Amino acid sequence: MSGYRERSAAEIREQRPSTTLTPIMRKLVDDSAAMLGRGPGDAKLRAAAARAYAVEHLEELHAQVREQFARRGIGYHRAATAEEAVAIMLRLLAGAKRVAKSKTMVGEEVGLTHALRSAGIDLLETDIGEYIVDIEGRGPSHITAPAIHLNRSRIQEMLNRTGAAMPDDDPVRLSRYVRDVVGTFFTDCDAGITGANAVVASGGRVVAVENEGNVALGGSHPRLHIAITGIEKVVADEAAALAVLEVLAPSATAQPLTSFSHFFATPAPGQERHVVFVDNGRSRILKDPRYAALLRCIRCGACMNGCPVYRAGGGLSYGSPYMGPIGAVLAPLLWPGERYADLPGASSLCGRCTELCPVGIPLHGMLLELRADAVAAKTMGSRKERAAWRAWALTFGGATRARMALAASRLAIRGAGRIAGTRAFPGTEHALPVFEVRRDPAALAGAPRAAEAPATAAETWPEERVALFRARAASLGVQVVDTHVWREGDRVVRASGAIASTGSVVLTGDAAARRPLLAAGRVVVTVDPGVVVQYPHELAGMLGDEDALILTGASRTADIEKIIVRGIHGSEELMVVMGR
Amino acid sequence: MARVGLFDPCYLGALRPSDVAHARRVLEVLGDDVEVIDGRCCGQPAFNSGFRDQARTTGLEFLRAAKDYDVVVVTSGSCTGMIQHYLPGLFAGRKAEGAAKIAGRVQEFTAYVLAHPELNSVIFRLPGVVAYHDSCHFRRELRATQTAVDLLARVEELEVRRLTHEAECCGFGGTFSAKLPEVSGEMLDAKLSDIEATGARVVVSADFSCLAHIESGDRAAGGQLETWTIAELLARALG
Repeated sequence: MSGYRERSAAEIREQRPSTTLTPIMRKLVDDSAAMLGRGPGDAKLRAAAARAYAVEHLEELHAQVREQFARRGIGYHRAATAEEAVAIMLRLLAGAKRVAKSKTMVGEEVGLTHALRSAGIDLLETDIGEYIVDIEGRGPSHITAPAIHLNRSRIQEMLNRTGAAMPDDDPVRLSRYVRDVVGTFFTDCDAGITGANAVVASGGRVVAVENEGNVALGGSHPRLHIAITGIEKVVADEAAALAVLEVLAPSATAQPLTSFSHFFATPAPGQERHVVFVDNGRSRILKDPRYAALLRCIRCGACMNGCPVYRAGGGLSYGSPYMGPIGAVLAPLLWPGERYADLPGASSLCGRCTELCPVGIPLHGMLLELRADAVAAKTMGSRKERAAWRAWALTFGGATRARMALAASRLAIRGAGRIAGTRAFPGTEHALPVFEVRRDPAALAGAPRAAEAPATAAETWPEERVALFRARAASLGVQVVDTHVWREGDRVVRASGAIASTGSVVLTGDAAARRPLLAAGRVVVTVDPGVVVQYPHELAGMLGDEDALILTGASRTADIEKIIVRGIHGSEELMVVMGR
Repeated sequence: MARVGLFDPCYLGALRPSDVAHARRVLEVLGDDVEVIDGRCCGQPAFNSGFRDQARTTGLEFLRAAKDYDVVVVTSGSCTGMIQHYLPGLFAGRKAEGAAKIAGRVQEFTAYVLAHPELNSVIFRLPGVVAYHDSCHFRRELRATQTAVDLLARVEELEVRRLTHEAECCGFGGTFSAKLPEVSGEMLDAKLSDIEATGARVVVSADFSCLAHIESGDRAAGGQLETWTIAELLARALG
């Protein structure tokens, strides 16, 4: 248990991650549960079913994706290894000098940024959290909130190291600075690279979600858009994609949906669109029935949000592109051998990850399997430990040994403690304390409970669908009106749908054109009450066949200390006009 | 009168040998004919560490001792979870069937008592305040939190205070606390703060493994916390 132990001990000694992470994560887990509670009761079951179906029919769905991509003129590429993925990317980018890159975990996994820069490409991380982490150089510490381990003053310091001259550490100012750097880069670059949360087999659309708007810009790059993702990200149809979206944002950030949920379809005239599907060990995982379900993962991060080990040691302790419980299972499977063999031990097996996973991956069961695999492969467990467990088995068995067992068992527990490397418990001399049982009659008296933060008042929302839509949209900062007074800089579009539970509007076809949307002084969306549905999954069939975009509030970021800053790429003014 | 095998878990027998007498007394007051199964281990420590062969060998001895009882009552949520969910799977063929049959007769102490036909004939009374710690296996493998809450609610004049962050692991995790003491220590600190905030000086749980970890952390910090198993609490509530 060297790598994780050493890294986590150092992190705890030097940074004390739990001080930052525990309050944030406690709130996030509570807020996520509340947000999931606003959706349909069977949302997790539906998402699990959609992902399980995809994993079980992977090649069949990929065949469909190929057909649909051919119809649309989208390039289909498959990389068996990380090296192949990079080679394909370089080939597709041939000639590109400046490339804007949005957040992609698979990109992280294959070392994309480093590889492209080594090939002489000027690559910019356009996601604010990734931009910051790129400067620090230690990698993301969370699967959706890469810079969560950094506080505002450290971020100010790092930005100033690159010549930013930030006068203070106000998160709004810092976010807008990065936004401006990124925005400028986008006006003159040769390609946009994004990730993809799902690829829909039935229609061949690429689904990518975000809050800031950098995916909108990268995905709508006039010449070249490349999405890179894992082979397991295909889903059967729009209903399956929506089932995933219904749990993804609530589980990740406690949002109903992210600000932008993109369905990228046929490339615009003059634009090339490609998707690179990366295997890198996934088909090997697929073949093992004990681990295949892992490929359901939608990369929401709920597992690490609830994980007390993650909070204690922080995300960087895992030393892997994937952290937390998903990292502890995925890393040793993607990269077998010694390197990540100790990660399955970075868990007390509390099972909270399994409980929180919105697609039903039995993570803690997989951790147990991985530990057994590692012991069998001898990448975990010393010879001394092996001998200790053998001695343990001997001590606790047999009718004739039963009488001696009490004293022997004490010895065995102490001995096992020593062999496992425990130090004496603080304050005791023994490897494991034997507590004398002292009982004070006054102990039952108890003292008053410490004052607790007052519980937030229960929210009340209208029941009627259109009224609920208005209220939820308003709560996101959207201005909901019945008449529109035109203002210079308005972009007015008609919604083809709207979602009551999330306060979202749905744009399809020309209305979903991203550049004009992001360039607008204000986005004005007209919504016919007749197109308002209750839940996201009811949009299946209303998304057309062209580009589609679900807007849920204006663009924003929360990459600095989880403080929300609105209006990143695109105006912070979003207006909804109800009427036919 | 049921012939009950009362399994005294390995670590409980070693670290708090007085506890089995409490559990035995409660069952006898309920009218059971109790024999103690001790000197055995369900195999969980080895299993959790990835040593499945040794877990099988160890668990087999438990099954051999348990097989002749109508019901086996276990004073540990985590051992019960191991026996019910993982132990039979370590065997193959007929042995697996046999193990599953025995596992089917194993019940966790709190659940057994709450469902006991003679429960209404016994009065439990213990004036005072305790904090309740929900162990992870008890909560997530056995899904028995409400069982403990309901059973403790039958103890007259007892105020049971739940922890604000009840869902969070105390950091014991068996060998985890020995192998990753720094991480475990952080988790223990959070749990101790949570317990302290209740104002209770006694914390009770269905799993003594957690309690031993909690008590050692509290002692190291100079605290006065007492840790009681549910069996001890019920025994004291018998008067």
